Amino acid sequence: MHGPARTGVACKIRYPRDCVYLLLELQSFVNVTTGMDARASDAALIQRIVERDESALAVLYDRYAGMLSSVLNRILHDTQAAEEILQDIFYQLWRTAANFDATRGSLPGWLMVIARNRAISRLRRHNPASGDELEENTVVIPANLESSVAQTQMIGKVRGALEKLPQEQRAAVELAYFEGLTHTEIAAKTGDPLGTVKTRLRTAVQTLKKNLSS
Amino acid sequence: MTNEHPFRDEDFDLYALGALDGEEKRALEAHVDTCDGCTEKLGQAYGRVAMIGLAAPQVPPSPGVKEQLMRQIVGTSTGRGGTFAVMPSKKPSTFSGWMWALVPLAGGFAVALVFLWLHTLQLDAQIDALKAHEVEQERTIAQEREEIDMLGAKDTVVVSMSEQKQMPQGTARVLYNSKRGMMVYNGALPAAPADKSYQLWAVPMEGAPISVGVFESMEGGANRIMAKMPPGMQVKAFAVTLEPRGGMPAPTGPFVLMGPVS
Repeated sequence: MHGPARTGVACKIRYPRDCVYLLLELQSFVNVTTGMDARASDAALIQRIVERDESALAVLYDRYAGMLSSVLNRILHDTQAAEEILQDIFYQLWRTAANFDATRGSLPGWLMVIARNRAISRLRRHNPASGDELEENTVVIPANLESSVAQTQMIGKVRGALEKLPQEQRAAVELAYFEGLTHTEIAAKTGDPLGTVKTRLRTAVQTLKKNLSS
Repeated sequence: MTNEHPFRDEDFDLYALGALDGEEKRALEAHVDTCDGCTEKLGQAYGRVAMIGLAAPQVPPSPGVKEQLMRQIVGTSTGRGGTFAVMPSKKPSTFSGWMWALVPLAGGFAVALVFLWLHTLQLDAQIDALKAHEVEQERTIAQEREEIDMLGAKDTVVVSMSEQKQMPQGTARVLYNSKRGMMVYNGALPAAPADKSYQLWAVPMEGAPISVGVFESMEGGANRIMAKMPPGMQVKAFAVTLEPRGGMPAPTGPFVLMGPVS
């Protein structure tokens, strides 16, 4: 085995560097036993992933996997495919965490965008993503979703905002978001005039923006 | 709207939603490439649009996904799985005579090396699996230790939940510690209908009920939920409702169990 075993508490001291590993072990042990892991910020956990701390990835998985699994299943209607993508996203996070700049955007935002892109690609049989999405765009979400309570509140807010939309606007938003359809494709699918579809979606995103920011 | 910024705010949301196509899409992409202000607007639009996904019915992943992920990353965390370099071989110019005698010895040595290498790979795989298991064990131990601490704390309250009229027969008990922001639910309920789930709620003194967990009950089995809650939150009751499969953001179904926090 090469390198430090960051997650175990057993450690033989043979060289000075082993003392450093032992300290890292103790830090990890204290983090787990005091519940600090669960309260650590996304940015702190990302930094620990960059330092190859597996337990930090486990915490982020526990924090966001449910959210991502839900959107993947809604898009794909295929549990196996959804779980493949879910695992792949977190594996990509493990490999490319150093590319993530917490000052440019929020992690759950990134994860949701990547999950949706990959699911839509799978749905439409496009080539899978290249794996460089962490560098592609800034994603700024209107809330901190690091706690499960905040996530629950945000879920309620989003569902409430969508339910307030007129049926045809909500249907257009869902066709675009969950099926990845453009204006033109929605018009072809529903048989509605293109101009009508554009107006519906424009009005819907204006209303959603207002309701989500209130 | 100006000539410098020929797009309205909602255009960015439509782009992030993937609704734009053709010339509209190309024009926005070309403009964003050269405009920092619009790049920022697009980032915010991506975030707003990403939140739409939260409206999807909640479907938790199976535990196997996390186990596979942890095994996968442990296998890469130390850079194992070495590479072979194929070196150009020199043509032996004086390979003759007594040196042929070394060939069987070298062959045997090479076989032994391959055997050792394969054995090392096998051991590495076992070590990786053990490390992943160890990570999970440590998390479980920490969680159990925290639970034991909470159970022994003087300020932990016991809430007995009683069944409601014309609802499935069941019983449950909640141990709640407001200061530590922690609760443990132990209950037994009959299996929920195929399209339904049980959902546990904490009802705070102020504000709407907060979902603590969604569970499917097994016939004759018990359910146990340990959850973290905001420390210091004052809860007046715990309740279990019957909701559409996967749970809801707010209670909509009938109350199955209810227990006030005294």
